Amino acid sequence: MAASVQTIAARSSVRPEAWLWRGGLLGIWLLLLIFIVYPLLMLFSRAFLDDGHLSLQALGAAISAPKNLRALGNSLLLAMMVGVAGTLLGLIFAFTVERVRSARRVSRLIDFFTFLPLISPPFTTSIAFVFSFGPRGLITYELLGIKNVQVYGLTSTFAAETLTYFPIAYLALRPMLASISTSLEEAAFSLGGSRWYAFRTVTLPLVIPALANAFLLLFGCSLADFATPLILAGSDFSVLPTEAYLQITGLFDLKSGAILSLLLLVPAGLVFYAQERVVAGRSYVTVTGKAGVLAQHDSVSGIAGAVLLGFCLLVSALIVYFYLLLFYASIVLAFGANHTLTLDHYRVIFSEGLPAIRDTLIIALIGMPLGGIYGITIGYLVGRTTFISRKAMEAVSMLNYALPGTIVGIAYLLAFNDEPLALTGTAAILIACYVFRYSPIGIRTTVALLQQIDRSMEEASASLGAGSLTTFRRIMLPLILPAFFAGLGVVFIRSMTAISATIFLVSINWTLITVKILENMTEVALGPAAAFSVFVIVVVVLVTSMLNVLLQRLTAPSLRVGKIGA
Amino acid sequence: MGSRAIAGERADAFPRIDRRSLVLGALAAPFVIGRAQAAESLKAYSIWPENYARPMLEAFEKASGIHVNFIRFSSGEALARLLAERGNPQVDVLFGGPVETFTAGEEQGIFEAYVPPSASDLPKRFKSAQGMWTAIADDPLVFMTNTKFLQEHNLQPPASWDDLLNPAYKSMLQMADARTSGTAVTRIFSILQVNNRNEDAGFAYMKKLRQNIQAYTKSGGGGTVPVGLGQAAGGIFFIVDALFTKQKGYDVQISFPKEGIGSAAECIGLVKGNKNGAAARKLIDWAASPDMQSLLAPSKINFLPAHPKVAPDPDLAAVLKQAKIIEIDDRWAGDNRKRIIDRWVAEVLNAG
Repeated sequence: MAASVQTIAARSSVRPEAWLWRGGLLGIWLLLLIFIVYPLLMLFSRAFLDDGHLSLQALGAAISAPKNLRALGNSLLLAMMVGVAGTLLGLIFAFTVERVRSARRVSRLIDFFTFLPLISPPFTTSIAFVFSFGPRGLITYELLGIKNVQVYGLTSTFAAETLTYFPIAYLALRPMLASISTSLEEAAFSLGGSRWYAFRTVTLPLVIPALANAFLLLFGCSLADFATPLILAGSDFSVLPTEAYLQITGLFDLKSGAILSLLLLVPAGLVFYAQERVVAGRSYVTVTGKAGVLAQHDSVSGIAGAVLLGFCLLVSALIVYFYLLLFYASIVLAFGANHTLTLDHYRVIFSEGLPAIRDTLIIALIGMPLGGIYGITIGYLVGRTTFISRKAMEAVSMLNYALPGTIVGIAYLLAFNDEPLALTGTAAILIACYVFRYSPIGIRTTVALLQQIDRSMEEASASLGAGSLTTFRRIMLPLILPAFFAGLGVVFIRSMTAISATIFLVSINWTLITVKILENMTEVALGPAAAFSVFVIVVVVLVTSMLNVLLQRLTAPSLRVGKIGA
Repeated sequence: MGSRAIAGERADAFPRIDRRSLVLGALAAPFVIGRAQAAESLKAYSIWPENYARPMLEAFEKASGIHVNFIRFSSGEALARLLAERGNPQVDVLFGGPVETFTAGEEQGIFEAYVPPSASDLPKRFKSAQGMWTAIADDPLVFMTNTKFLQEHNLQPPASWDDLLNPAYKSMLQMADARTSGTAVTRIFSILQVNNRNEDAGFAYMKKLRQNIQAYTKSGGGGTVPVGLGQAAGGIFFIVDALFTKQKGYDVQISFPKEGIGSAAECIGLVKGNKNGAAARKLIDWAASPDMQSLLAPSKINFLPAHPKVAPDPDLAAVLKQAKIIEIDDRWAGDNRKRIIDRWVAEVLNAG
């Protein structure tokens, strides 16, 4: 970041009233300590304490075991592949929608289709894969006539995870591309640069922080995903989160399960550090408050645009096919055996499954605003202000996200089962888990957006006599609203769809749809599992559409402030 | 949730009363919204899938007026929870699930002794010597194979353990992972038993079988749908899951090895530190008696009744006529369970 003497001076002047500042910081740190640090300490003590003595014996044994090293290697390979492929796919989609003129007409459609994997409960892509590929797969066997093919292994797991997670990259990259004024590309054209040259030297460098951000998010998703490998990895491709999950759930072996997951901390930390290095030392300011000019040129040629659009539509079609399959499975008696149409599965989920539906909705609707506020608050604090523990706050706030959900779930279970914070069996533990685990996406988006906003905006506000709160509210808030809504959306979606951490936290009093889906799938009850999934998707589509409408209403006038004359 | 500190920063953003009441209301909602409770109720973890547990527990409510609030977990998960919650137990009863889960729980001291009246009618393998658990059903293992796969490869349904080693099944069999699944543990002890408890011979067989394994599933029934669809050729499952798959319309064959195969007693136990003891004991009494077990056949739930006075469903009995069911000594299994699973993980699971 370009921190000049000027901005440092401005920074101290925009600092809020000391008492509010200190109180607020203290409050946030208290939350972080209770809901992130304390559970992990409980977990560490379980992993490394033997009768009150520190013992690294178990860790040593875990590291030296070839099977664990193989699982770690597999996890890293998978996460790397998903991170790279997913980011690339996300970039292609974001670029196509933002820069290809002919794509604008179908951008809403593409938005919707790429949104589907993001809002689906776990296992749905995996199940579609089990139906579609393999020796009797609808695509490999029925359509292509290939018989000697397996649906279990690295390839399927990688493909399923990439298709599931790339929309996260798309969501992270698209606002970034949108906020890069095309006048910059215009400048490159006017200086005689080709479109490819402009993309490579202007657009690409500007989205690098967002690319690094997207890669980190996807890497983390894949590293923590136990659900997809649980169904698709097969017997010869073990990955750490699944191993840890099975170790804990099956052998009641919290200790080695904890240690296995802690092995994942190292790569997660490394990626985080690398991302910091990539982003540091460059200036990405594009929202300057200065007047822009209207775009005169297209950023891509007609042919390239058509190829990009065709590719995006093809991937979208595959996704649509998966979901049609899912829907079909929800309205037939038994997919693959008895295709008589029925509404029975929906009757089941709205009678026997009703408590789970009610609980999930209550939890998601409460977690959503809390997560949104938490995300932009921390994002603003670590992205725009200075205080002694800023770096620490950023790192700590990422922890529950970087850690596999299994470990977060077990840590919460250990921490909140007994006094003084006996939260097991309440909704609060589920809400806290979602907020602190999934808001880092809001935090990251806020930070990335803030990097694009020049400090001169705040300085202008301050020089006109506005206090720091007013500046935050009138200048920064409207500009980072997209990040707020991204955070809001992600927390809601994950509250409706995540399973890895909360499977340990559901209780007799509060249960979740995703847990029901997993149950149903192991009960030869694919119908209700599919019906639940369809229901989740419909609800999430409705809620996020409302969010989008709200976002457009709230940001349109404010953003004009940042693009005067545009 | 600390929203106060955060909201405070935005104090001037919205009218004060509206915002505060909104936040408070949202925060209070989950704690205030009432949950309908019957006059008397109890809480249970069910290892039986909802398909099997719900009809039974609803019948219990009808008979006794006691509502059972339950949630389903596979056996490993249920046990892990009961262990984690020992300081603050959330449920009164562990309902259903293979005996090895209950012996493991008994060892860890999560149960409180309670012997229902029907226990005196049961054979020894259907009850804990200390009264910690009682059987409510019996569940033999079977081989289940995809009919089309057999036809295409000119195979008969496997009739011997060695039939499963046929290279035609290479990477096409699915069975449960012994770390999580009681089905898998029962399978492994069956293999050891038919090898006269010669562990080296049993493990040599399992290592050979490993070549034909496509996936080890988390739960016992996890492989039934892939086998039904033909994405897998076959596997070893509990009869209750295999027959359920068949009832759904999947074209599968059920067969038994001539050397014999094991069966798991499905049990119930009272959780130590329970908060609804009287109601929980009534459920245990009911489940261990013919009152519940005579409902299994009419509900098309293919567990064998544990109680000698209840006759099994005729169709189920017909399927089992060709079967040689061997007894697995639960004492021997319980004492060696952890060691055998560890060995399986080291020598079989991680050998691929």
